[in-house]
Amino acid sequence: MDTSNTPPATATPPVEDQRVWKAGRLEPMPIRKLPDAPPSVHVLGPTVFLVALGVGMGESYMWPRLVLLFGPEIRWLFLIGVTLQAVVMLEMARYAMATGESIFSGAARVFKPLMWFFFVVAVAVYIWPGHLSAGAAAFEEITGIPWMVTAIVGLVFVGVVFTLAKVIYNLLEVALSLLIGTLVLGTAVVAAMVGSWSDVVTTITGMFSFGYLPPEALSAAWFPVIVGACAFAGPSGMQQMWYTLHLRDSGAGMGAHQPQIRGLRHAGEEEERPARGFMFDTSDPAEMAKWKGWRRWVTFDALLLFWGITMLVTISFTVIAQAAVRIDPGVRTVIQGDDREVALTAMSNAVSSAGSSVLGVVFLGFIALIGLNATLGLFDSFSRGQADMTFHFIPGAKKLGMSKLYAIFLWGVILFGILILLFGPADGPSGILDTLAFLSTFAMGAYCVTLLLVNNRMLPKPIRPRWWSNVIIGFGAVFYLGMLFYSLFAYGVVVG
Amino acid sequence: MERRHSFELALPGASIGAVAGAMAGGLTLVAGAPTGLAAQAALALATPLALFGGLFGVLVGHGVLRPGTFGPAGLYWMAAFPLSRVLQESVAGVGMNDGVLPFLAYQAMVGLGFAIGFVWLHERFMPYWLSRRAAVNPLAAELLGVYVRYATTVRAGKKGSRR
Repeated sequence: MDTSNTPPATATPPVEDQRVWKAGRLEPMPIRKLPDAPPSVHVLGPTVFLVALGVGMGESYMWPRLVLLFGPEIRWLFLIGVTLQAVVMLEMARYAMATGESIFSGAARVFKPLMWFFFVVAVAVYIWPGHLSAGAAAFEEITGIPWMVTAIVGLVFVGVVFTLAKVIYNLLEVALSLLIGTLVLGTAVVAAMVGSWSDVVTTITGMFSFGYLPPEALSAAWFPVIVGACAFAGPSGMQQMWYTLHLRDSGAGMGAHQPQIRGLRHAGEEEERPARGFMFDTSDPAEMAKWKGWRRWVTFDALLLFWGITMLVTISFTVIAQAAVRIDPGVRTVIQGDDREVALTAMSNAVSSAGSSVLGVVFLGFIALIGLNATLGLFDSFSRGQADMTFHFIPGAKKLGMSKLYAIFLWGVILFGILILLFGPADGPSGILDTLAFLSTFAMGAYCVTLLLVNNRMLPKPIRPRWWSNVIIGFGAVFYLGMLFYSLFAYGVVVG
Repeated sequence: MERRHSFELALPGASIGAVAGAMAGGLTLVAGAPTGLAAQAALALATPLALFGGLFGVLVGHGVLRPGTFGPAGLYWMAAFPLSRVLQESVAGVGMNDGVLPFLAYQAMVGLGFAIGFVWLHERFMPYWLSRRAAVNPLAAELLGVYVRYATTVRAGKKGSRR
């Protein structure tokens, strides 16, 4: 620990450690004990949220489509995108587990307007219920129930469940675990039945064709789509930042010293929430040993669960898509168009025509499942993030309590969503669509920069990131922002 | 009695395996495939997956496999999943057009992915099931102890100071 910031330790340790860690201009963090880490290879972890948010349209649709259009060699960009996200996840976890604070608080410690930037971006990008449409449309294909009905019922259902829940985190972890477990098992079974060794070999070898970009990809029509797909490889937009809130609520590292958010019905039972995080004694070898245990735990989460499941789902869907084209070459022409739902239906029909079973329905079922995952995950995450920033940084908000703030944002986004579904364009007004897409990808470049600043300036030296980790995150900033601005200036369009 | 105790440990894994195997077949029915064909395909996969899923639970209960770990489970399903698929193909499939070796290699690869989903769900269901059976099943009580020790580690942290 950097002793310049902390009073010297006394010979006899006091009952209550009076030392503090000063980080930025905000209130210093008291020194507290780091809890013991769980077994490093234990499966259960808050990564379930990232997987739920991350395994979305990028994995199930955008990348399989690019593979069909440009060949499996294009997947080297996906490999970079997902690996980058795994490192980002580890670095986000570093700050959250060391302090029990969200990355938003970390950003505020560096420079408050930086945090408000993310607050505004979240509102601008995530209040539109567009992500629901694909899942609900797939459900309509299977059941015939109009997608708007499903979407509105889904919105209200999410609101009621989260309002009645005693501890929201626990409920959501169980619900998402079951959904994702089913998704993973199901995609594996379907991929096993429709795919072949050659499909999977071309899919995997394509991931190592670094630098491959066919001429047609470098066009105003497709380059922005590739930029969008890179941003959507794994969790896109601000989802990695929200992961720090789930880590805190799961009790990871110093998050153990923070209470969990309760549903509105149980808001009265909420424990007193500290105004800032905590730090452990990084000069104590025993504490550092526990810290290494926590790092092993989160690394397992990042590599196997996040990286592994994201890879598995996208490989499975790519294999299914390749099988679809083999069965019906007409699919290739359909997916060149912009209409996502038509393309998904075409892929589903082609898979169905395999004859041995009606796997097309299974395919659509998974798209619906992905839509439900995203709805649960995004609404919770958005409300959690905005409530966290409001609680800590808007004067007077503490009086309301975290549970009520969470409920206000949750029902706000649900009611807005219902109104937009009934009376407006679900993705947002077409005039600002480009701006929203730009903001989403821009936020990813911005959080890489924020992460570098927070971890390297706000944490004690012994637990700061290694140089190679900083290089990768720095590369992430250049990767997202570079591709985004290149697309903007070279072709005059942002992400597709 | 010992056999019955082991059998009880097999139930969560067997259920997950059966559901996974039946998933494709069940949805096939929804979409209007002939009932007999769909049922045959579902049963041919659900049965071996349920058996292997159950065996997994028994091996965990007897300490051969450690609960909550992925490595051994991954290796287990890399062998068990291809075997299940071979059985399904031989009963209700269209044959192995690519040849036996590429087929097995591909299925083993998918089996690794299947293992992630299986372990994920198994870790969810097993502790609940064990807590119901622990009073009358010493094997379940012992295994529940392992899960409780893990939960205690996590909860102990939550009792820390919040001031």
